[in-house]
Amino acid sequence: MIRPLLFLVCFVAGLWQLGSAAWLLAKAQLAQLLIVSAWEEQLQGGAPQKPWPWADTWPVAKLKLEGQSPLIVLAGGSGQALAFGPGLLSGSGSPGENRTTVIAAHRDTHFAGLDRVRRGTSIYLQDKYGRWHTYRVSEMRIVDSESERLPVFAERGLLLVTCYPFNALAAGGPLRYLVYAEYQSGGELVRL
Amino acid sequence: MNRVMLFGQRFHKDDLMLPTEEYYRRRQRSGGLGRWILFIVVVLAVVIAAIGAEVNAQELPGEVDTDAAFLETVTLDEVKAGDLLFTGAEMGRYIPAVHLASQVKIVIRGLVADVQLQQKFQNTSDNWQEAIYALPLPEQTAVARLQIQLGERLIVGKVRERKQAAKIYKAARAAGKRAALLEQQRPNLFTNKVANIAPGEVVQVNIRYIQPVTYDGGTFSLRMPTTLTPRYIPGESVPVHALGGDELNLVTQHNGWALPTNQVPDAPAITPLMQPAEELHAIGSHKMAIEVELHSGLPLAQVSSPYHKIDVEDQEGGRYDVHLREGAVSMDRDFVLRWQPHASALPRAALFSERIDATSEKAGTYLQVMLLPPDDGIRSQRLQREVVFVIDTSGSMSGNSIRQAKESLILALARLSVNDRFNVIAFNSASRALFPRPVVASAENIRRARQEIEILNAEGGTEMAPALRLALEQQLPGDINLVHQVVFITDGAVGNEQALFEVIHQHLNNTRLFTVGIGSAPNNHFMRKAAQFGRGAFVTIGDITEVRERMHALFTKLENPVATDLQLSWPEGLVADAYPKRIPDLYRGEPLQLVARVEGGNFQGEIKLRGRMADKQFVRKLALKVDESGHGGSLGSLWARSKIESLRDQQMQIGESSDTGQVLREQILQLALAHQLASPYTSFVAVEEKVVRNEKDKLARGPVTNVVPRGQVLQRQAYPSTATGVYTQLLAALGLFSFAALLSRGRKLRSNMVHQLRYLLRKVMPDVRCTQNSFEARPGGVRP
Repeated sequence: MIRPLLFLVCFVAGLWQLGSAAWLLAKAQLAQLLIVSAWEEQLQGGAPQKPWPWADTWPVAKLKLEGQSPLIVLAGGSGQALAFGPGLLSGSGSPGENRTTVIAAHRDTHFAGLDRVRRGTSIYLQDKYGRWHTYRVSEMRIVDSESERLPVFAERGLLLVTCYPFNALAAGGPLRYLVYAEYQSGGELVRL
Repeated sequence: MNRVMLFGQRFHKDDLMLPTEEYYRRRQRSGGLGRWILFIVVVLAVVIAAIGAEVNAQELPGEVDTDAAFLETVTLDEVKAGDLLFTGAEMGRYIPAVHLASQVKIVIRGLVADVQLQQKFQNTSDNWQEAIYALPLPEQTAVARLQIQLGERLIVGKVRERKQAAKIYKAARAAGKRAALLEQQRPNLFTNKVANIAPGEVVQVNIRYIQPVTYDGGTFSLRMPTTLTPRYIPGESVPVHALGGDELNLVTQHNGWALPTNQVPDAPAITPLMQPAEELHAIGSHKMAIEVELHSGLPLAQVSSPYHKIDVEDQEGGRYDVHLREGAVSMDRDFVLRWQPHASALPRAALFSERIDATSEKAGTYLQVMLLPPDDGIRSQRLQREVVFVIDTSGSMSGNSIRQAKESLILALARLSVNDRFNVIAFNSASRALFPRPVVASAENIRRARQEIEILNAEGGTEMAPALRLALEQQLPGDINLVHQVVFITDGAVGNEQALFEVIHQHLNNTRLFTVGIGSAPNNHFMRKAAQFGRGAFVTIGDITEVRERMHALFTKLENPVATDLQLSWPEGLVADAYPKRIPDLYRGEPLQLVARVEGGNFQGEIKLRGRMADKQFVRKLALKVDESGHGGSLGSLWARSKIESLRDQQMQIGESSDTGQVLREQILQLALAHQLASPYTSFVAVEEKVVRNEKDKLARGPVTNVVPRGQVLQRQAYPSTATGVYTQLLAALGLFSFAALLSRGRKLRSNMVHQLRYLLRKVMPDVRCTQNSFEARPGGVRP
């Protein structure tokens, strides 16, 4: 009697874990679809559009890493925003502004491909007016978030932040992987 | 196929020395012991593999980016807009170029402590350095002196208007002269900068400050902070154009991690970098030696320090010498000294006077008065109370602090009587009230509240203003039969103190606000002033073992009658300018403590304190007499400091930028200049005349970090959390499925339902493994 019960418990618990992992991944991917349409609308209309009525964030930019599919960047670096897409940290500059733009995302969802980025890789960022800005990766660095602060400075530049190591099991470690990209050009209306 | 995966290849038994078939039969019968063992082994293996992966990952950073040159320090000349600055050294560890050693000598006479703080800044690098250090000081200090000591030579600092002082310092720094600047950022937080420290050189900065001694409930105490809890900076970042592209300058000038916001414009100045104590000790920095010379004038029953081990030597004439037993200690918690006279000799009143004969404005006669209201013969009549408890669950409270906070809250709940009403508000970035309105303190409600409190976690921001408003608006002012109280449990780690005092001032009505300061290094300026504006009292808890005793001290104040409508009258013909201007209500055990400057008339007669307590009038008298106990000018400084505080309070209520606010600013400035004190508008600056650094040698900026307070978790101040833990969940799923599969195998009786489940399982398992394999197959996937 105890054995089928135990089996059932394990099986259900396994399903639950698998389900919640799948939910996290699905949320990350599916939300992007909704956000894409909100972004398109926003580019047409100009006013910030929330992807769904109860969202506490809104799209602010579109990010494309060379050789990877584009991602819509949301406002803020809160956990809620990062669950759905990369977040543009408040306090950092918007694309093209004379201030470092800082975008963070989860290492196991949207920025899972960040470890493939190398020096010289191009990164494209579309601002809210539809203009594309080009950046070129110049530096990758691992930092300890406990003893260092985010390097935000008064110059155009893009800083991508995700957790490090990429394949660590537990979340919440102190290390961060930084990719810094220098500003190349911008302002043209390019369709990628 | 699952079986192969789970159990591996079986050898033919003829090839091996194996137990007999009888053994297998028994094992089958004896049930699943073997399988249990197998399960445990599998789980262990998974755990070990996980730990291994983690350890591997931790070791990696050093190997990955060895080619990148890490900047250990950043020179001021090199800092140009756009430079990507990493102050980290290898292994993500920051090694400060300037080391710090402190020595404190405290002389306590009467109710005043005269503190000499000597800080040695040692440049361990090969560059010239500018040390920038956020110096925490007690919240009521009058900083009276700044000196640079080079061997035997002393360079004495002068008080100048804040901007002027900064200018003098900058000019000296650029010219290559040794210079020091001490600026007040908050009444309990200063910035100390020392320019042009030669490679390998030690520059000592001497600071002298005067601090009043606290007397409460028959115990004298003195508190000295050594570090600070990182403050939360609320508000929106100031747009870049408003800063004029100056933010790099702002941050590097102040060694801060936060940029200015609309609510905290001086954020970079109050957010120093923090480092764990172990890292700093490894390099032998941030140690502090403390010596106290206690002239109590009374025989003492006890001298103790709750957070440090001390040795007390009983000298002649009521003098006690106190040393730290371990010599120099870590600067990771407040130093507190308490001393208690014998019960028969508890002072009821004290008067100290000092005449300063100088040609400056400082000249005059200063008085310090301590007077206890009567506490005998008044029966405490228990009034019905309505208490709103507010608990800070922000990120800065994580670690020991939240445990202390919860413990004290639960203790306070247990103390309520059935007729009382209560509510609990927990806040971090958002505030949440447990009940919509205060409820009766029934056993059921308290049980519910306890359950909710147990599960509170410390994370998120410290949006204190909405929480304060919510707490103060909970209570309907009309109900005069209830005593309205708010008990605010927090570490006070916020940057917008002034704005919060305003909230308290505006929303208080007839409520009284009590603050409970939590942690090894709470923001006592906030605790004291919030309680002052809230017409309440405050206690601090620095250790979990202290909760019961300190909360009991608070309950004494909450539950006993208060001395109100206090008025002080001076003898005829004597003009006194006394501070605090309005005498606050006094709780059980609290004395009236004030400092005054008196003019005219004979120095004789009586001071009378009139007041009401539990609907009875009382009068306390104190005879004036001249006493030259040799305070060395400290009473004058203390008086000026109290007056500045009073003027600042007035200024807060009418706004600093208004016309009257500017008039008050001018008054504060003149007072601080006359008494040579540091204030919000004046700073100390000391400059050596000699030029020591050549123009060709560059000056590097050496931020001196502050130690993370003991028992606290270092906040990730800027970097967001960027992992979901999805791998852990996938792994857990795999483990659970494996176990389920194990369980289902080898069963003799298979019911139809289980059979179907197995069928399902077989269909599902390959999928699960595919998912897992796909993760392994990815580039940069799971490391072997």
